[in-house]
Amino acid sequence: MALDRLFNVARKEFSDHITSKRFIIILGLFLVISAIGMHSGIENYNTMLESYSLQLQHMQDLEGPYVGWMPEKPSIMLVFSSMMSYMTMLGGILAIAIGFDLVSKEKETRSLKSLLSHPVYRDEVINGKALGGIGALGFAMALALAIALAMLLLFSIVPTVDEFAAVLVFGVVTLGFLLAYFAIALMMSTVAKESGNALIYTLVIFFAVSSLLPMFGMMAANAFAGDPPEPPQMPRMPQEIVRTASSGGYSTTSVSQSVVYGGTEDPEWKAYEEEMKTYIEKRRLISDISSLLSPQSNYQTIAIAVTQPQIFSMMQSPYDTAPEETTGLAGALGKVWMNIAALIVFPSAFFAATYVKFMRMDIR
Amino acid sequence: MIRTENLTKVYNGKTAVDGLDLEVGEGEIFGFLGPNGAGKSTTILMLTGMIEPTGGRCLVDGIEVAKDPLKVKEIIGYLPEDVGFYGNMTGEQNLDYFARFYGMDAKERKERIAELLELVHLDGVVQKAGEYSRGMKQRLGLAQALINDPKVLFLDEPTANLDPEGVREYRELVEHLAGEGKTIFVSSHILSEVRVVCRTVGLLAKGKLVAQGTLEEVARALAPSDGDAVRIVIETREHLPAIDDPAILSVEGNANRAVVRAKADIRDRLSAALFEQGLHVREMRLEEPEIEDVFMAAYRR
Repeated sequence: MALDRLFNVARKEFSDHITSKRFIIILGLFLVISAIGMHSGIENYNTMLESYSLQLQHMQDLEGPYVGWMPEKPSIMLVFSSMMSYMTMLGGILAIAIGFDLVSKEKETRSLKSLLSHPVYRDEVINGKALGGIGALGFAMALALAIALAMLLLFSIVPTVDEFAAVLVFGVVTLGFLLAYFAIALMMSTVAKESGNALIYTLVIFFAVSSLLPMFGMMAANAFAGDPPEPPQMPRMPQEIVRTASSGGYSTTSVSQSVVYGGTEDPEWKAYEEEMKTYIEKRRLISDISSLLSPQSNYQTIAIAVTQPQIFSMMQSPYDTAPEETTGLAGALGKVWMNIAALIVFPSAFFAATYVKFMRMDIR
Repeated sequence: MIRTENLTKVYNGKTAVDGLDLEVGEGEIFGFLGPNGAGKSTTILMLTGMIEPTGGRCLVDGIEVAKDPLKVKEIIGYLPEDVGFYGNMTGEQNLDYFARFYGMDAKERKERIAELLELVHLDGVVQKAGEYSRGMKQRLGLAQALINDPKVLFLDEPTANLDPEGVREYRELVEHLAGEGKTIFVSSHILSEVRVVCRTVGLLAKGKLVAQGTLEEVARALAPSDGDAVRIVIETREHLPAIDDPAILSVEGNANRAVVRAKADIRDRLSAALFEQGLHVREMRLEEPEIEDVFMAAYRR
């Protein structure tokens, strides 16, 4: 494979994408909506920052047992978490819009035959198309992040080096998510004879992996884990700790119970608690496995780990009364390595299938 | 320049090209004739390295196409049937995109593209290729096939979308290119078109080569056999008398017109005999089958 031929195809594809009306309209819509989301995110951040300052001042005035406790400073990554929900919908649509007719349109207009009559290998054509599409999505992502950072600076919020690194990681993860849908669209474009069919097939897969798969995962988890354990038939005085956290498009609630009876922990309740823990772990295992097949689920899991590590820790250990200490960006990414791997494997598998199909495609 | 050896292509169990042996010399304008579905386009696709043969091999300028398709593509030009382009780009941009695959620098590309657009009368056209008429696309197709100044040119149904003026220009262009020493391989199902531009032809039917040579040679090879007999058509002003000659096998006719079947061409003797009897001969010729009829019969076989 010669790079100059590969880049010739990629250059043309990239140029086609960023000048197409379809791309410009969806990208424009996406940028406007994410800018609005960012604006409300920045307002929330400022409110939290004010509350943090007040708490800090209050703590300094206090004396006694709470002196050692310090409120946590809000992170600007909270602002980026609001982008996540827009990415999963509009970003997905943008990726599909770029890829669904990349090959089928060339078949329809017969330009593929003209192209392949010149000295270029088929693998250079399909790789160039993929590269051009990735470039266009990368351009869209870079533009969205640049606008987001510009808005932060406009509101006099300057990210730290760690936060800036987290923003970049968030951008890369988002690009990985977009590539998943781009790969599906490209594959369908290669398989289908007409662009209309390619779009329909892609949308079917889009809704299957984003809606049906998590639903089936839950059903499978219920079927596999069976009925939840019954609580013991005795009076109790549960000390219930409910933690709720939410972010743009994603919320999680965890409940933790600790039963105290007559001054000491009740053994039956303790056993029940253990059984319940096992039951929930079992359900989560099934649900997590099915979620690995869904780019949305993987993206949301990784994005939460990057933008809201505390909420992520609570999600990871719902039965612990005290969440794990945050271990920084690398630590957060380490916890979601399976989701990261799945987000890499998913588009890779579709790209590989596209490659094989395109190489064997009948050009008549 | 072009050679195929037992070239075979099977699609889903159906043989499209069946053991084709073909040879086209350098500088020839070769007409590849055959009805629709005979396997002409499939043969061209194999010769241009677009698809791989199921069996046999084909060579262009001594290079085996299946083994080194890129090298072959560098020396050939191909105008596909119903040629297509990128509708969002102008003709010039389309040509520029294709020209980049030949490692031409910007100046070289610009000059070559300007020259070709002028040649196909598309210079000054600023509209996008998506807005081109079929005839304009066909002309742009010719330009893209010539972008690399090829040694061998494959044209698949080149006049299919052209108007009469376009057809005339195409013929002139083919003559001009042949004058430059290029080998031109024209695939068509229209005999009249091939007859005008091609010097040699090959007739393909059901994937097999039925005949190859000059048009006359092919027509003769395909004509229904009548042994060594010749047929002479005679028409006189007066009523024809009985004709007597030892070479005559049979006479069919009426009043002043007859078709004489003879062992040899005896027109000289016949005209002398008729003249002696004071008859005025209006017509006397050897009857040869019409090429169109011969080809049509071969198409239907």
